[in-house]
Amino acid sequence: MKLQQKNSILTHQHYACSMGAAYSVSAIPGGVPIVNCGPGCIDQQYATMSFCNGYQGVAGVGSGDIPGTDTSENEIVFGGAKKLDGVIKAALKIMKGDLFVVLSGCAPQLVGDDVGTVVKKYRDMGYPIVNAEVPGFKGNNLKGHETVVIAIIDQFVGESKVRKRKKLVNLWFEEPYFNTFWRGDYAEIKRMLKAAGFDVNVFFGSESTGVSEWKDIPKATFNLVVSPWMGLKIAKHLEKKYNQPYLHIPVIPIGEEATTAFLRKVVEFAKIDSAPSERFISQEAHRYYYYLEHFSNFFSEYHFNLPTSFATVGDAAYNLAVTTFLADQIGLVPVKQIITDNTPKEYREQILELYHHLSEEVCTDVEFIEDGFIVEEEIENTDFGTGTPLILGSSWEQDVAEKIGGILVEIGTVATEEVVLNRSYIGYNGALSLLEKIYSASIGGK
Amino acid sequence: MPKKINLNLDTVENREIRLGSIISWDGKASELVELSRYEERGRDIGCSGNRSSGCRLCELNMPFNQSSMCTNSIAACQVGNLTDCVLIQHSPAGCSARNPVFNLSFREGLKRRGKKQKNINIISTNLQENDMIFGAGDKLRTAVREAYSRYEPKAIFLSMSCSTAIIGEDISSAATEMEDELGIPVIPLHCEGFRSKHWSTGFDIVQHGIVRQIANKHPKKQSDLINIVALWGTDYFTDMLKPLGLRVNYIVEIASYEDLKQISEAAATTTFCHTLGSYMATALEQEYGVPQVRAPQPYGISGTDAWLRAIAKICGKDKEVEEYITSEHERILPQIESLRKKLTGIKGYVLTGSAYAHGLISVLRELEIVVDGSLVFHHDPVYDSGSEEQNSLKTLVDTYGDIPHFTVSKTQPFQLPQLFKRTPADFVIVRHGGLAPDLARLGIPSFEMGDEHLPVGYDGIVRLGKAVLETLSKRKFNNVLRRHVSLPYTEWWMNQKDPFVFANKPDILDEDGDRTNEITAKK
Repeated sequence: MKLQQKNSILTHQHYACSMGAAYSVSAIPGGVPIVNCGPGCIDQQYATMSFCNGYQGVAGVGSGDIPGTDTSENEIVFGGAKKLDGVIKAALKIMKGDLFVVLSGCAPQLVGDDVGTVVKKYRDMGYPIVNAEVPGFKGNNLKGHETVVIAIIDQFVGESKVRKRKKLVNLWFEEPYFNTFWRGDYAEIKRMLKAAGFDVNVFFGSESTGVSEWKDIPKATFNLVVSPWMGLKIAKHLEKKYNQPYLHIPVIPIGEEATTAFLRKVVEFAKIDSAPSERFISQEAHRYYYYLEHFSNFFSEYHFNLPTSFATVGDAAYNLAVTTFLADQIGLVPVKQIITDNTPKEYREQILELYHHLSEEVCTDVEFIEDGFIVEEEIENTDFGTGTPLILGSSWEQDVAEKIGGILVEIGTVATEEVVLNRSYIGYNGALSLLEKIYSASIGGK
Repeated sequence: MPKKINLNLDTVENREIRLGSIISWDGKASELVELSRYEERGRDIGCSGNRSSGCRLCELNMPFNQSSMCTNSIAACQVGNLTDCVLIQHSPAGCSARNPVFNLSFREGLKRRGKKQKNINIISTNLQENDMIFGAGDKLRTAVREAYSRYEPKAIFLSMSCSTAIIGEDISSAATEMEDELGIPVIPLHCEGFRSKHWSTGFDIVQHGIVRQIANKHPKKQSDLINIVALWGTDYFTDMLKPLGLRVNYIVEIASYEDLKQISEAAATTTFCHTLGSYMATALEQEYGVPQVRAPQPYGISGTDAWLRAIAKICGKDKEVEEYITSEHERILPQIESLRKKLTGIKGYVLTGSAYAHGLISVLRELEIVVDGSLVFHHDPVYDSGSEEQNSLKTLVDTYGDIPHFTVSKTQPFQLPQLFKRTPADFVIVRHGGLAPDLARLGIPSFEMGDEHLPVGYDGIVRLGKAVLETLSKRKFNNVLRRHVSLPYTEWWMNQKDPFVFANKPDILDEDGDRTNEITAKK
């Protein structure tokens, strides 16, 4: 097991920098990122977060629409506070939005601009504006996402003593845009939790009502973190701030058994009536196995080089979820699992434990490697057994997949061979889509 | 022409200093031609850039920006797309986040040029907070050695970023040291994103490094070799030059080290876009006596005629070229005529890089498409050659007439509603990210020019005409979008008429308008 890679250099990286969290703001209906950084920073992050990631595009304010300071030599020498002030002032007049988040990158941080004071001036005037300092040298987009969410909680949601609503839950789940299938996944998880009897603040995407959900954060009875590590920091912050407990479910559920167990666990934790969730579960299970029974004919009888073992390369959340599903429910053998998201050191042991207990009698290792060169070497040197090698990864692995005669299914950043709209790979419906995708690819379709 | 490119220095002066380039202007194209005073600047280097206040080309001062591209990205797109060299980005990981786009371009470019597809190999030194405090010179050297052992590159480029420039990393010394250690060219690129107000300075930085450290210093003349300063475009130049017995040498993207090395051996240098190619062409002319093609760019009938004649003159192919031109006219004019019947009176708009837009407008007007407006991302009042034959905006205006609404603005999509209210268009040709999606939401179909060589030469006129017809059919999709989706701008802004109102009337920011956001805020 490698808990740390030896080289710190990167090639074929699977993430953006913390400025990429501008897309967490874009994902909030009514959210407007304002970027305080060099002229190319946010254009760079757009490529990894959205365009070259299933060609997601944006709704609302993203891509070329994002207002920014385009920091130039003048601001490096004389300071950039004045220019930022001008950009904010104009942005508030031009951009339609309910929540403005100023994200500051490397340059203003290194020259020591007092960004907080500039932003506070507008907040004091009554504008819904938040300051988040997310220079790229402090971490990647996942870290940036947590920083931005906490900044919004502290500076926009604020202190509020309200009565809790028993069935209301705050969901801390995949990172918008970064997780290629987040839009579909958020829709699926909200659909399931709603059917189980919850009201859910999802905060991002088509199923969110926008800033009103953020204002409602303190009203929730608890926080639900569905991710191996990302979001725990937010839940812990909220536990302190609003005295809200949290439930941490590290493995995003894929497939009937995992999803049913997930729903029962959440219902039990919330101590709400289990009748609605049980009704929903039985309907969903019925449909799921109706399809799975059909699939089993192909799976049992098709005898031309189907994959028998697989590798996963990607962020901790999807890597763990997909590995668990394929190992525990389909019976594919996990032979090489690599997490590329620079998971904070303190969570690595716990995550490793989960890979050790993927399923009864199934134990595998996971390695934490960020440098794509080493990732590709590892894949190349993996024994995939008698079947066609299957790699669930990113576009960066396409050369090595070709080299070993394998099949590549893109499940995460970066994904340039996939156009993703509402597809989801989680829950009841997503599991079936994932099987469709993997096995279409396996028999020569794309 | 005074000597002005100094290859003794390891970097270049920014375009705004060297050429007087601007990024914000609005008026008639003919006015900009006049204000640019190309001939004067071309004659007298002291008058070229902004250092000489006497003839400075003034621009609008906008207090608002939207995000765009930087010189660092340009360096990655150029030298990150070489087949056997490696780029090391000395920066935090975010400065490499655009590389997946360059990987797409690289793979597509390799396919277009008949080479095997593979991924790019760009390395980031992946700098962390500690490196900002203690410096990262050792990390850089480790990365160079690692790059060498991993890929055995023929040359290694080192690129600077905002953060490494601010903390004072010395990539020049590192490059010299590593060059001695490894015995291959190691080229520093001072392309930190904040240094120039326009990304095109990045082209100059890269090309300077290549001419300075890779071009063969003892050239053996190849009298049939023509350097084409290009990006990833399809090889349409061979179609035009092979009949004259000439070969093409495409630089920089998709080139190999040997392709770059032989640039000093070529018979001439030319390009599809002076914005891109002028620096390298001038440097090669000055340093190695490789003449640059002093002619309009190869767009439209007259531009292509003149360009071919200028190349033929350099290469001694005067007779061949006249025969070729005559036969090409005979072949192409009927095709153009049939396209004109379908396109006459259609309104087009061009939204691309500077000199390239001049070429595209020529082709559209050749097809009798109405072009009353265009937006370029910057404007160079003169190119490095100072050659009057290369005054592409003047050539456009002289040959095809004025453009009443000619705008210079660096990718600012918030101005699109005003621009297209002023100059309605049936379609737009775009080459740059972040603009076409907003046009789509305004209901305007656009043709994202993915293959920049498409409009080049005689056949380019036909190719572009066909592409325009296909683009017009996309109106269906754009109209659906327009009916159901809106742009993320306030009513107040959508009702403004002047795209540059903040520069022309700065007080407007303090006036009360329909301040939708403030009202929401105070609820």
